Amino acid sequence: MRSDNDIILSTDHLVKTYRGATSPAVDGVTLSVGKGSIFGLLGPNGAGKTTTISILCTLLQPSAGKATLLGHDVVRDAAAVRGKIGLVPQDIALYGSLTARENLYYFARMLRVPKSLIESRINESLQLVELTECADQRVSTFSGGMKRRCNLAVAILHHPEILFLDEPTVGIDTQSRNLILERLTELKQQGMTLVYTTHYMEEAQQICDDVVIIDGGRVIASGEPRQLVAEAGGCDNLEELFLVLTGKQLRDRTE
Amino acid sequence: MLLLANIKKELLLLSRDRVSLLVLFVMPMVLVLILSLIQDDLFRATGGAATTALFVNLDEGELGHEFEKSLQDNGALELVKSLSGKEIDSAAARKSVFNGEYQFAIIVPAGFSATINQSAEDAVRGALRDEKVIPRSSRITVIFDPAVRGVYRSAVLNALQLGVVGLELSRKGAVFEKLLPEELQRNIEAQMGSYAPTDLADQLPRISFDWTNQSLISLDEELASPKKYATLPTSVQQNVPAWTLFGMFFIVIPLAGTLIRERQEGTLTRLMTMPVSNGSLLLGKVSAHLLICLIQFGLMIMVGRFILPLFGTPVLELGSDPLALLLVAVSAALAACGFGILVGVVARSYDQAAIFGSVSIVIAGALGGVMVPVYVMPRFMQKISVLSPLGWGLDAFLDIFVRDGRISSVLPQVAALWTFFLVCLAVALIVFRRWRQGY
Repeated sequence: MRSDNDIILSTDHLVKTYRGATSPAVDGVTLSVGKGSIFGLLGPNGAGKTTTISILCTLLQPSAGKATLLGHDVVRDAAAVRGKIGLVPQDIALYGSLTARENLYYFARMLRVPKSLIESRINESLQLVELTECADQRVSTFSGGMKRRCNLAVAILHHPEILFLDEPTVGIDTQSRNLILERLTELKQQGMTLVYTTHYMEEAQQICDDVVIIDGGRVIASGEPRQLVAEAGGCDNLEELFLVLTGKQLRDRTE
Repeated sequence: MLLLANIKKELLLLSRDRVSLLVLFVMPMVLVLILSLIQDDLFRATGGAATTALFVNLDEGELGHEFEKSLQDNGALELVKSLSGKEIDSAAARKSVFNGEYQFAIIVPAGFSATINQSAEDAVRGALRDEKVIPRSSRITVIFDPAVRGVYRSAVLNALQLGVVGLELSRKGAVFEKLLPEELQRNIEAQMGSYAPTDLADQLPRISFDWTNQSLISLDEELASPKKYATLPTSVQQNVPAWTLFGMFFIVIPLAGTLIRERQEGTLTRLMTMPVSNGSLLLGKVSAHLLICLIQFGLMIMVGRFILPLFGTPVLELGSDPLALLLVAVSAALAACGFGILVGVVARSYDQAAIFGSVSIVIAGALGGVMVPVYVMPRFMQKISVLSPLGWGLDAFLDIFVRDGRISSVLPQVAALWTFFLVCLAVALIVFRRWRQGY
């Protein structure tokens, strides 16, 4: 059992309805994330994962409900929240014409890393994602996997208390994917809390302590992955459970 | 200072983009060079300098030469009589104008002197005898390039009319001088018969008509400047600041483009989750592009001072207050950058920003007197022209270059440019803040 003191992030009936939309993208999501854990936010396309993460990262205002992060309300205390979180967005949010080191330096400044620490933090981040040797090459020359690793390096420069990762391994080679997953586990061991969205269920089963499965903006299952699989009966793994819960129909959608 | 880090990043990004650098620095210089040269020709055509025209004299007598001399003395026309060392005939002149090599050709017909002499004699004799005479007229043909503007055509026709009137007056005077004694003798003999003196013509005082060329009234040109003829406005003084402003305002497109690209690539989303202020992000972009604008300004002024004169234009005179010049340049650059930031936050795509940005600059340039001076616009358009930031900038530059303006005299335009910048920035910050708050 987790005590309230262990909860670093919680949401209470979070709702987000986009302007002009007929149904909410997030519909009453309530969840809590324990300190130092890896929390998986799973769901098919259009389930509301990215919208939930965007609200928690202060990028979107909820239509209703509440989200608290390290005791700060994400709407009222957005500025305080921003200093404590890191985000690995779904896009490669880097400047392609700058080198990896130049990107890291710029974002370190924006993250208000003290000047005296910037150099060591950059080296540390580069080392973690194994890009030290390519640090002075332009990001535009990197492979997809290198760009994803660099995307992660930027988000951990300031040692955030919570790291949000929105599909950080999408579209990359197995080696880079494996390295990223290993590093995320290391970050967890160092005490960082990770909130993680992915389409790869085996990834979630491998590294997540807790998961919620959402569909149509609603939470349809939550708990430890192994426990969820066991309770479902007839499912051998999280992917099978996921398909049972969300169905096999395609979830293509247009914006 | 996060602002400095943002400025450094923007400059680094710009320095890595060679095509953008070319567009930002070389294109405005080419723009100023080409358009100033084109406008310089028009400026000359409207009174700034002599117009070149082909001159074909088919007359065998002396009047064709006299006409030619009077046009040259007038100074409004520079006559070309031969092409490639060969004297031109009327067919070659027509062909040259038709091909657009020259805009005008003047053809004096064969028998011009004989016709004019005879016509002058008929006209004067008719006047002395109080008879109604319609003298034969001779036609000087003027061939125009159809693309020549009305004002240019009028200037040439006026110069020719002046020459024709002078020539007619001098011929009529000469004939009058010759015929008056003859007619007096004839009249007296008619009334007195054999009592009339036979040497009357010799006893009459000689009448000279040289005085017809002497001016009784002169036009005194005076500039509305503190010191009479202190600084004459040249084509370069009009065109260089006008096209410099036009080029500087095109910073709107790359500036808006950086903001749109950051939105599309996700870097702006990432920045919005970081503890950095909206002002720091936007002012970083403004400051970096302000620096670019000022470098552009310096380069374009150098084009005016050192490169345009190589093509025969006057040297750009910069007035006597460099601080005022710098103040106006900074203010105009700020106005351009403010507009760029506004376009960047309002436009939804790069295409939107590029089309809206460039069309709005062309409209503001046209209204502000960049293409056509404000004073030749219709009254209604003149009233609207006061709304153009390019017009404020141009007015301030002309004040410094031509009217010996100082900081105090350009303050109203500077204040208008700063107000425009601050309003644009404030609206951009409001829109940006709403994005960041997730609306």
